[in-house]
Amino acid sequence: MNKIVTINLFVLSVMIIAVTETAASEVKVHKNENSGLLTWTVKDDGFQIELLQLLPDFIRAIYAKHDFPEDEIERAASYCIFGTILKNTSDQQMSYRVADWRYQTSDGKQYPVKTKTQWLEEWRNAGVTFSWTLLPDEGEFSVGDWQQGFTTVQLPRNTEFDMIFKWQLDGVEHTGILENIKCAPESLPEK
Amino acid sequence: MKYIIFITLFISAFALKADWQQPELSHNLTVIKKVIPAMDFELQDMDEQKIKLSDYKGKVILLNFWATWCPPCIREMPSMERLHKQVDAEGFKVIAINQMEDADQVFAFTGQLEVDPTFEILFDTTSSVSRDYAVRGLPTTFLIDKEGRIRYRAVGGREFDHPEVIKIIEQLMAE
Repeated sequence: MNKIVTINLFVLSVMIIAVTETAASEVKVHKNENSGLLTWTVKDDGFQIELLQLLPDFIRAIYAKHDFPEDEIERAASYCIFGTILKNTSDQQMSYRVADWRYQTSDGKQYPVKTKTQWLEEWRNAGVTFSWTLLPDEGEFSVGDWQQGFTTVQLPRNTEFDMIFKWQLDGVEHTGILENIKCAPESLPEK
Repeated sequence: MKYIIFITLFISAFALKADWQQPELSHNLTVIKKVIPAMDFELQDMDEQKIKLSDYKGKVILLNFWATWCPPCIREMPSMERLHKQVDAEGFKVIAINQMEDADQVFAFTGQLEVDPTFEILFDTTSSVSRDYAVRGLPTTFLIDKEGRIRYRAVGGREFDHPEVIKIIEQLMAE
């Protein structure tokens, strides 16, 4: 019995040590002077994520270029989509899984971020074979590796929310929260 | 037409001018600990000639997966061209495998670049080769030795003509 308790305590302590939650240590917000669109950059423990607002018309343009059916173009454009750049800034192995990420709306509810696999399954049913542009579901980044792609959140234009993202450095899980990010507007503001 | 304008605006704003948005291109290549053979393939080039990877056995190959709409792919391309010109062509080859686009799209794209690529561009129109190489995102690049084994990998854009990358390539050529 004592052994079981000891093992359980050991497992619990390993779990506590292995999951490190950190508030985003360095957040920069940039406003593009020409377009007015916003970009958020977070630098945290060995991990950098950058989220760029993308206009629905840009999403339409990308998927029209790849001959998507009109319904699928509009469905994709109805999402709140960010151009996303992830980078391993550590000298260790970094990994992530989009399935672990959540977005939190102003009422405190959390929702899973839609994964590339989920999109591809829906697109396959619509006869689409194009598989790029979306952020890969998972990544194993060595030193200096980085990746980019779209992150999709099912929220209306201009909605503010928090993004909760997770990553692992040499097997240790980290969590970061990017607060008050905002979906892009329907179109560029009139100048 | 409206969509084309948006794509052009995106590429110019996101990729070419707004460099602050993109991480600096590093020159790190990851050593593949468990060396595996590079899978052979046959793809068409710009002139619709069929090219096999095995056609270049005995050469060190920089195998790059890319697309014209991918900003870091565009950023690293000039360094691939410089590398291609700098390293001995007898023992080294740069091959850029385009994903799911056609020769017209790539031709229109390369015409806008400051330096027209002279290295090999092949077309993986169904992304079957990228699947065989387990490429999850673009750009991804592999360095293949003279025996046809994958020795290094890079996920994301790189400065391929960095002296340290050239040193690695020359070491592989000397093996």
